[in-house]
Amino acid sequence: MEAPGTDDRLLHQRVVGGDESALGEVHHRHYPLVLGLALRVTRDRVVAEDIVQEVFVTFWERPLAFDPDRGSLRSWLATIAHRRAVDHVRTEHRHRVSALGPRLADPEPSPLEDWVLAADEAARVREAVSRLPGGLREPIELAYYRGRTYRQTAEDLGLPEGTVKSRIRLGLRRLADELAEEEV
Amino acid sequence: MDRPAGGGDAIPGTSDPVTRLCLDVFAEAASTPPPGALARLLSAARSARPPASAAGFAAPFAARVAAMDALLASAMPADWGQKIVEGWTLQELVAHLAATDGLVAHAIGVPLAGPPLAADEVLSRTADMIAYTGGRTPEETRAEWRAQAEAICARAAAMEPGTPIAPGGTRFPVSDHLLARMLETWIHTKDAAAVIGLPLPLPLAAHVHPTADFCARLIPWTMLLSGVDGGERSVRLTLTGPGGGAWHVPLSVAQVAAPDDGAPSDAQITCDVVEFCFLLGGRGTPEAFAARLEGDEGLAREVLRCAPALSGP
Repeated sequence: MEAPGTDDRLLHQRVVGGDESALGEVHHRHYPLVLGLALRVTRDRVVAEDIVQEVFVTFWERPLAFDPDRGSLRSWLATIAHRRAVDHVRTEHRHRVSALGPRLADPEPSPLEDWVLAADEAARVREAVSRLPGGLREPIELAYYRGRTYRQTAEDLGLPEGTVKSRIRLGLRRLADELAEEEV
Repeated sequence: MDRPAGGGDAIPGTSDPVTRLCLDVFAEAASTPPPGALARLLSAARSARPPASAAGFAAPFAARVAAMDALLASAMPADWGQKIVEGWTLQELVAHLAATDGLVAHAIGVPLAGPPLAADEVLSRTADMIAYTGGRTPEETRAEWRAQAEAICARAAAMEPGTPIAPGGTRFPVSDHLLARMLETWIHTKDAAAVIGLPLPLPLAAHVHPTADFCARLIPWTMLLSGVDGGERSVRLTLTGPGGGAWHVPLSVAQVAAPDDGAPSDAQITCDVVEFCFLLGGRGTPEAFAARLEGDEGLAREVLRCAPALSGP
């Protein structure tokens, strides 16, 4: 999951100093997250790829907008990606409203401030979690739904911490595959 | 590590556990960028803000130019008219950097930004550049400053670092002149960041270190310029923090500071590496300077008192 902040700090220093290879590293590391977010909101691979590029170019062009003292780079990129994706969908929505008339258009996406997954999305994720085999499902439920730390989760399940971490990771990967399949 | 396992990370509006779970699912997804995505990104990034291209001894200056450029990319239209330092607006400050860089450009045969050089001197060149930028947009001023700085880096990188040059009549190796440009660009970027309210990360330790070394070597000159005779005495200077180190600094201009080899010294000064570079650059006051002084404390205080002597506007 998240590497400690020193990594973010060093990458940020390098990007501010104009080191392109640092941008390459940021891209490599956070591409899946940013693409996943953009896809989920726009449901369009081509548009999502454009948003991914926009997000990383924004970080490169104005790196001082990110402050490592105030959060991780991962969160910051996720926030920008979500905002861009929502903006895109809104613009599309307006076009459709003017083309079809208000009644035939979808409701607007929720604004950034109360950004949580839409209810049907959340239901799909919960549903996918519930279909995981117990060994993968239990640590995920404890870690995410109950807010337990790795150590607490390990204690609750009577398993070594390393095992819990790798099961969570495996579970996340399984969920990624499941949700991706539903998408197609 | 004892934060919640489920990504205890503050993403605005994502206190919801299922949303957090979903984000981690995205991050774990085995999706890799399609072929060509990185090349496409880098090409778009380059036209949004040019990378620092210089390697070797020009790299610390090139990186500070890129950082100042990053700050300017974040400047709002109103920021350009804000007074930053010396009574200069942000745009005038960039003109001043272009003016001082211009003396180096002139010394190494790089085409100048702005009008022809009337006098090889910082203040008059600054006045000419500020007058010139009066008829330019902030973006034009930014682009001309940046292009000239890039050209200096490219030209200097092809030179032997020890090649003596004398911009403004000050003769020392081209590599040291670029470190002087690094320090001034860094300090003015910090000045601007403070006024605009943007956080500015430190340069890389690998770029701070040669700048600190340059500052350590300047100490006997700051004393000479202040009319203090350091004689045969010396100090050990220990600079803490990333890019720091320890130097044996003879206080006579006939000798050169070198990495500390344990040679006996009359006084010892220990302080933060960035604060020390900024003190040489005229930021902060010697009286209020946080340092641990040992040995001949009077001598150590004298060294700190003289430290800003070479700093100009």
